[in-house]
Amino acid sequence: MKIVIDISNFIIPVLYIISFGFYFYDFIKAEKKFINLKRFSFCLTLLYHLIYLLLRTFEFDHPPITNVYEIFTILAFCISFSYFILELVTDIRGTGPFIIIISIIFQIISSALISDVYQVKEVLRNHLLGIHVFSALAGYSAITISAVYGFLYLILFNDIKLNKFGLVFNRLPSLEILERLSYISAIIGFSLLSVAIIIGVIWLPKAFPHFSYLDPKLIGTSLVWLLYGFGISSKFFGRWQGKKVILFSIIGFVIAISSTIVTNFIARSFHSFY
Amino acid sequence: MNLLATSINHKTASVELREALYLNSDEIKEYFKNTKGSLFSEGLIISTCNRTEIYGIPLNKSTGPIEIQTALLKLKSVSGLKDDNFQYFLSANAVRHLFSVAAGIDSLLIGDNQIFKQVKDSFQMAEENNFAGFLMKRIFDAAIKAGKRAISETRISEGAVTVSYAAVQLIEKIFSSLNRKSALIIGAGESGELAAKHLSERGIRNLTITNRTLQRAEKLAKSLNARVIPFSEFKESLHEFDVILSATSSDNLIITKEDILLSVKKRGYNPCVLMDIAIPRDIDPEVRNIDYVFYNDIDSLNIIVQQNLLRRKEEIPKVEKILDEELFTFMNWYNTLEAAPAIKDLRDYFEFIRAEEVDKNKNRFSTEDQEKLEIVTKRIINKILHHPTVELKKFAESGMNGDEAAIKISIIRELFGMNKTISDVTSNK
Repeated sequence: MKIVIDISNFIIPVLYIISFGFYFYDFIKAEKKFINLKRFSFCLTLLYHLIYLLLRTFEFDHPPITNVYEIFTILAFCISFSYFILELVTDIRGTGPFIIIISIIFQIISSALISDVYQVKEVLRNHLLGIHVFSALAGYSAITISAVYGFLYLILFNDIKLNKFGLVFNRLPSLEILERLSYISAIIGFSLLSVAIIIGVIWLPKAFPHFSYLDPKLIGTSLVWLLYGFGISSKFFGRWQGKKVILFSIIGFVIAISSTIVTNFIARSFHSFY
Repeated sequence: MNLLATSINHKTASVELREALYLNSDEIKEYFKNTKGSLFSEGLIISTCNRTEIYGIPLNKSTGPIEIQTALLKLKSVSGLKDDNFQYFLSANAVRHLFSVAAGIDSLLIGDNQIFKQVKDSFQMAEENNFAGFLMKRIFDAAIKAGKRAISETRISEGAVTVSYAAVQLIEKIFSSLNRKSALIIGAGESGELAAKHLSERGIRNLTITNRTLQRAEKLAKSLNARVIPFSEFKESLHEFDVILSATSSDNLIITKEDILLSVKKRGYNPCVLMDIAIPRDIDPEVRNIDYVFYNDIDSLNIIVQQNLLRRKEEIPKVEKILDEELFTFMNWYNTLEAAPAIKDLRDYFEFIRAEEVDKNKNRFSTEDQEKLEIVTKRIINKILHHPTVELKKFAESGMNGDEAAIKISIIRELFGMNKTISDVTSNK
């Protein structure tokens, strides 16, 4: 099984790049014949990636959350999977390349630097921790997607304002749709982060003797959660709309990323498992 | 094939000449009546604002463009016409021209699919008046198939190519669905009317029209099931509309930046689209600097139109390829019409000679051998005719060059005297 995992480490980024190629070509050319081919290729990639994650879980006897590069491959999967579901539900296919490229970056870093860890702390084999980490990662994936749609909104917004009717204008869906996709992604992200925070608050004090509510990661995530909660409620109650909501989503994403970098790579706390 | 086509169109004649030679339905019927049985066995006439085209299968080989033109000018006395104003097409070229017309690549607005419907209507009229027969029906079917393929397999008809439609396309890039939006059309002239129709077709929820002349606004509103507000009051309601499209002939600005600032505030900063398709402009262009306002004038909409036209032009080679394929298929079918009877006649002719000779000489053979004689002579005839039959089929299936196939077939008929009846052959002996 180990050899399959090693080969898959190489194959997965290649599969993502192939899918990206199909999506990108379709974005440029909008050839009807590629509509199903790109979706099939992407579906196959996700399926293969899921099998890879399961293989790692069984082979190393723990979910792949024990080091940052395992986290990266899960992030790559979650981002692409969330987008795929969104594409299936909304049938809006023109934004794929902008999302898949993020998965490719995470997956290439992961494939290049991932190590095989057989011996881990006992706490990392706990199922509740698995759910806590998966929901947090899926939440961050959703807010990443929300931010990507936000960027696309701003690009299209500026193109329309400046009378630039190029490829972006022709291929992207309407501003209202991009705003809605960004908003829905933010809601999903907020909900998943809520699950992660609830599990964390209930379970972490029991599992970690050095638990502290002043933990930087806990504070960072809570801050991001509060920020998104405020933004979502403002949109929901009609106080904010359009560009204002989008800018808020992007600012939220930048804060989320900064907080993750600071809490994972700079600050030390009980919350680091590797 | 002896299909003839004469065309006067936007490439060959000014709008005045095209208008002068435009045939309404009564005139088309009159042309049918004048030429059916005297000039043509069957035919078709397409007459629109951009072209008048006459297609026909002539009764005599001597019938040419002059006769068709003369019959047309009997109905329409037009001065100032020159030979250059007409295009003439013969045989496969005439079929190919009809395909180009149906596919929209011969139109003034390339890819305009209105012509596709006009070709259909023209054929329906010819059919109802017994002017279109078996061959025209096949040509029409092939033209419709070619047109449909061009529209579905290429992007020849994609994108807006008129300013008013470009405005609607741009609005749909901002709002996802017009069925939750309301629009105000200021000005019920030609441009305003067209834009209002486009918005209505795209499912706008509320359409309101205002015009200096109230009656004109009411007339347009009635046809589109829209609401009317008096011109003197429209400014007070600007905030109610997600889309405001202005197309008046006013010499001065009728909507200022202050009007829009006030409206945006009243709307709670909900995005608003302003389309100014008037010349000179109706809306202060400074409104484009307001954050929640999308403003476009005729120049910016023209950018979209020009880009779409360019994209459509780039699709022409793909359409041409489809038309060539369809023409090849059609000519194959047409050539078989000539080849199949020739093959049958050739076989009948040889069979007649064989049967006659066998009949004359069968008494020289015993009863058992007579049966063998039948089999052997039939086998000889089959072997002799195998190669010519295959070659004749090849002529027919060689596609485009129908005239060449017809010449080869006529040589064979000439060589074997197949233009004569079998009784002629026997009487000459």
